[in-house]
Amino acid sequence: MFEKVLIANRGEIALRIHRACREMGIKTVAVHSTADAGAMNVRLADETVCIGPPPARDSYLNVAAILSAATITGADAVHPGLGFLAENADFAAAVEEHGFVFIGPAPEHIRLMGDKVAAKAAAARLGIPTVPGSSGAVRDPAAAQTAAAALGYPILIKAAAGGGGRGMKVARDRAELAHMLPIAQNEAVSFFGRGEVYLEHYLDRPRHIEVQILGDGQGGVVHLGERDCSLQRSHQKVLEETPSPALNAEERGRIGALAVGAMRTLGYRSAGTLEFLYQDGEFFFIEMNTRLQVEHTISEMVSGVDIVREQLRIADGAPLGYRQAEIRLSGHAIECRINAEDPVSFRPSPGRVTDYHAPGGLGVRVDSALYQGCTVPPYYDSLISKLVIHGKTRNECLMRLRRALEEYVIGGIETTIPLHQRLIDAPEFIDGNYDTHWLERFVGRRG
Amino acid sequence: MRFGGRRPSPLAPDPDLIRTLAQLLVENGLTEIEYAVGDRLIRVSRGAPAAAAVTAPTAAPAPPLPGAGASGPVIDPGAVTAPMVGTAYLAPQPGTPTFVRLGETVAAGQPLLIIEAMKVLNEIRAPRAGRIAQILVEDAQPVEYGAVLMLIE
Repeated sequence: MFEKVLIANRGEIALRIHRACREMGIKTVAVHSTADAGAMNVRLADETVCIGPPPARDSYLNVAAILSAATITGADAVHPGLGFLAENADFAAAVEEHGFVFIGPAPEHIRLMGDKVAAKAAAARLGIPTVPGSSGAVRDPAAAQTAAAALGYPILIKAAAGGGGRGMKVARDRAELAHMLPIAQNEAVSFFGRGEVYLEHYLDRPRHIEVQILGDGQGGVVHLGERDCSLQRSHQKVLEETPSPALNAEERGRIGALAVGAMRTLGYRSAGTLEFLYQDGEFFFIEMNTRLQVEHTISEMVSGVDIVREQLRIADGAPLGYRQAEIRLSGHAIECRINAEDPVSFRPSPGRVTDYHAPGGLGVRVDSALYQGCTVPPYYDSLISKLVIHGKTRNECLMRLRRALEEYVIGGIETTIPLHQRLIDAPEFIDGNYDTHWLERFVGRRG
Repeated sequence: MRFGGRRPSPLAPDPDLIRTLAQLLVENGLTEIEYAVGDRLIRVSRGAPAAAAVTAPTAAPAPPLPGAGASGPVIDPGAVTAPMVGTAYLAPQPGTPTFVRLGETVAAGQPLLIIEAMKVLNEIRAPRAGRIAQILVEDAQPVEYGAVLMLIE
């Protein structure tokens, strides 16, 4: 096993990785910007190296500085965490070229899944259903209507050169499609300089369901169930739960087996997540994240598997050593992402944490690098804490979450704790009756 | 920077020594007195902002106090700091004389040392003219971003 691991990240996820390393008797190297010199993950690390000034491009994205830090500290391996360089195939390759082990997937798998079009094509080849779409650009209403009839209404018209939600139009029927097509083509020209559009079947009330998988690159692959991440605001996940209130046992087994089979064929190594849209009993692949995810915690709570520990073991060359039948998922888990933001306006709220008291008790886990007197710098992501709750049933989990949110004190800065308190009292949430559009409408309401 | 699991142990101030130095200061009508033993330095001054400054020369800048903000610690204007993480070399090549010596007067832009990062040798030059008052790194010592390498007076 590795003797020393360099953690190329910051904040709560750096501390999360430090914990797994220390439990395995591995020494840690924290790299940090000048803004994070007093951070908890830095204070706890066995060795620390300041790698640059506050802007991420000069520190946490500075490949040369991180590799130099690994060299001067004599680290064996590099864990990229999530965000920053975690899905940068060139970084993964550079780490290995310099003689360190990259704790993550093979660079070619990172590269494959990083290209949305190639990823979707790869998924289709691996037998994973994708959102039905036209095979190429559609030019005139007659061709569009023929393609749409095969795909089924409603239809989403997307610019081939588009992204970020721009240049998309929804058509509910034939007449709307004929009307919308030239508008979409003109918009595509004005936004992206190219008028090509293509069609996809439009899911009007999908849930975001993702499957956590672990592969050892030696034929061993398991899944740790699904996570329902439908509660999103501006495409950012806010609260995640497992199991999904929407899936039944047959659907759960089907999507899990599909994901495992595809990853075995691919020969995937390390932790990964396949993301799907789910509606009316059907799953459609969106993308794959070739890294640890923020919400990995809830899968750990129901499976008892330490995903970061598994990443470390797998990177060291160990086989999984267990099969799907040995994975037991028990109870219900919810994660609340607590951000340093105003809970109504969502304006970032960096600053000094004057008071801090984390909730505790049975089934309560807090993944956070906060402490009383620490400073939340203004340069990075606003996620400051993950409150993760486990209960035997969803109801027990919700009751426990309610009391844990009541206990949590973070003074001196604004946080989204009040948003979570409001959210878990909403009847739609309590009933598990929500899709990816629901939270946007909910935060629009004043209550 | 912290290596080998050792916590940074700030130079423990010796109250008796500081008291003696302070007395000498008053008795002789001085405004500042510096006392160095080996690589440890104690400076006691009157009227200046710092009453008793204790520096641990080879240590990186102390972590800022919680809430001190992101500007980082105040650095001596004559400090030469590392612009990157890497390994510091005081001589152009192994076995050759060092670029500069303690007490030597240097011109602005004169090479002081090399930092090797990613197998590239980066020459660090004097930001201003003056006398090399302190050399705070040893040859082949790893340095982190912002570490104080030398002081120029």
